[in-house]
Amino acid sequence: MTSKSSLHADFSRLNNRRILVLICLFVALLISLWLDLLAGPAGLTAQQVFEGLIDPSSLNLRHSIILWDVRIPDALIAVVVGAALGLSGIEMQTILDNPIASPFTLGISSAAILGASIAIILSPVIPFLPSQALTPVLALVGACASAALVLFVVRISSGNRETVILFGVALVFLCEAISFGFYLIADAEALYQIAFWAMGSLTKAGWIEVAIVSAVFCLVFPFSLRQVWLLTLIRGSEEHARSTGVNVAKLRIWVIARSSLLAAFAVCFVGTISFIGLVGPHIARLLLGEDHRMLLPGSALCGALILSIASFLSKILLPGTVVPVGVLTAIIGVPLFLSLLLQNHRRTR
Amino acid sequence: MNLKVENVSAGYGSVQILNNLSFPDITQGQLVGLLGPNASGKSTLLRCLSGILAFKGHISFAGQEYSKTNHKAWFEKVATMPQSPPAPTALTPTELLWSTARALALPYSDQALAHRIEDLFTSLGIYEYRLSALSSLSGGKRQLVGLALALIREPELMLLDEPTSALDLHWRMTVLQLVQQRIKTQNQIAVAALHDLDLAARYCDTLVLMHQGVVVAAGAPETVLVEDNIARVYQVEAKISRSPYGHLHIDVIGPLPGSSPHV
Repeated sequence: MTSKSSLHADFSRLNNRRILVLICLFVALLISLWLDLLAGPAGLTAQQVFEGLIDPSSLNLRHSIILWDVRIPDALIAVVVGAALGLSGIEMQTILDNPIASPFTLGISSAAILGASIAIILSPVIPFLPSQALTPVLALVGACASAALVLFVVRISSGNRETVILFGVALVFLCEAISFGFYLIADAEALYQIAFWAMGSLTKAGWIEVAIVSAVFCLVFPFSLRQVWLLTLIRGSEEHARSTGVNVAKLRIWVIARSSLLAAFAVCFVGTISFIGLVGPHIARLLLGEDHRMLLPGSALCGALILSIASFLSKILLPGTVVPVGVLTAIIGVPLFLSLLLQNHRRTR
Repeated sequence: MNLKVENVSAGYGSVQILNNLSFPDITQGQLVGLLGPNASGKSTLLRCLSGILAFKGHISFAGQEYSKTNHKAWFEKVATMPQSPPAPTALTPTELLWSTARALALPYSDQALAHRIEDLFTSLGIYEYRLSALSSLSGGKRQLVGLALALIREPELMLLDEPTSALDLHWRMTVLQLVQQRIKTQNQIAVAALHDLDLAARYCDTLVLMHQGVVVAAGAPETVLVEDNIARVYQVEAKISRSPYGHLHIDVIGPLPGSSPHV
């Protein structure tokens, strides 16, 4: 048993290749983050940005505010929200064994829009809650309430996949119907605000939002990593997993709970950027295979990379205007996704 | 290390599948074949034995009653190969076995685990597919991966639900030989649901013939596979003979007149 197994060597080579892909994704993310920091109408040069990052006092007050209070939080929120949505999406797809499953198909984003719509149209006064925090807080409440409902259904259906997905789709329709009811009493300004919020925008976020989403991601990610073997096993055969004593229903509750939490905090600050949660995991799967040790960080990196690139492009495509990032992610993501799918199809044919 | 099954009843919701089912004790080193037409309760019995389906009655193994045993301890003794093979995903057979071993916290070093997987794949003839996506493998090859998954552990009781249904004749025989050899050398017990009566008669030490959730006959193949039992359970007319090599051979002549198939 001490001789070198050729399977071990082959498997190690495969894993090393995949680690290299992860490193490449990370480097690409750093480059994208850097480009995102450089983009903007303030006329900051690359050298000024670099020096400003190392020593903020090297910049004048205006440039310092632009870099530290606008560009860095905007660029970082793209990374953390993208990572959160990528991780949330891959866990949902695996645990529900459905390639189009995501927290958004389970009604999280629709409920967040409903919460945001209530905040924008009715502007309720909530004690101790500043008015500028009303929209994200009600969006979060909506998203968490829908997640709680989904978890309730997961529990009473003993984790039945089809029931959970169908209930999620029904929840999307319900939230949309209620939202449309509110739109009937909304004025034009409120409708514009809702539409802008729903398209997704990174410019609404500051350091507090970056810290909150990062904290939730850092809280959830270790739990995800602890279950990489189980998730890989379930991906291969849920029936085999059950037969080895894995409590799949319980695992499903945990995974849906943490993915919903991630998605809820991600969308409440930046609006619905639903495409990331769908396409990030698929791109990661095409690049890294199904081993969830690689796939979970890979999907988070892909989500972060796509949203970071979208954030950069949103600032440079139309000078003077920031294009809603939710629109861009779909425009960038679809052709990229399609080309990868076709490449994969040709390779496996 | 006997397996005892007494008065077991089980079902799904309000549908009762097993009705007070019992069969004689199974001793170690035996390969037991569960026979019977579709919906006779073979898979349901295997699910009860594996601990994933609740039942009434008594199942005990190695002196431990299931209802009084910690579930984790039961799953450590029992390995199950479900009827459906692993899903046709981009996962490779090596990744699947590796993740199973790690998810179950099997005490192998990376090198030892690689050797174990390599040996299993070689004995099952799927070594060359070790790094191929499961989606690129045929149903039969995936079934062999499923068997390797069940064999990755050192279980005392192996439960195999139609382990050869998607395999060609060569691999049907090879797989049953492998299981037989393993349980003899390691003093295990294997219970396999089978449809092929000839192969069951040839490789199994004990046969349990089931019909509508009860045991019609149980014992040595030559006492179970008799014309009356086959006519009663499968609704077919059959002649039993011995081949020149000494194997039992079931020659099915045709459906009994006026019979309806059990589906």
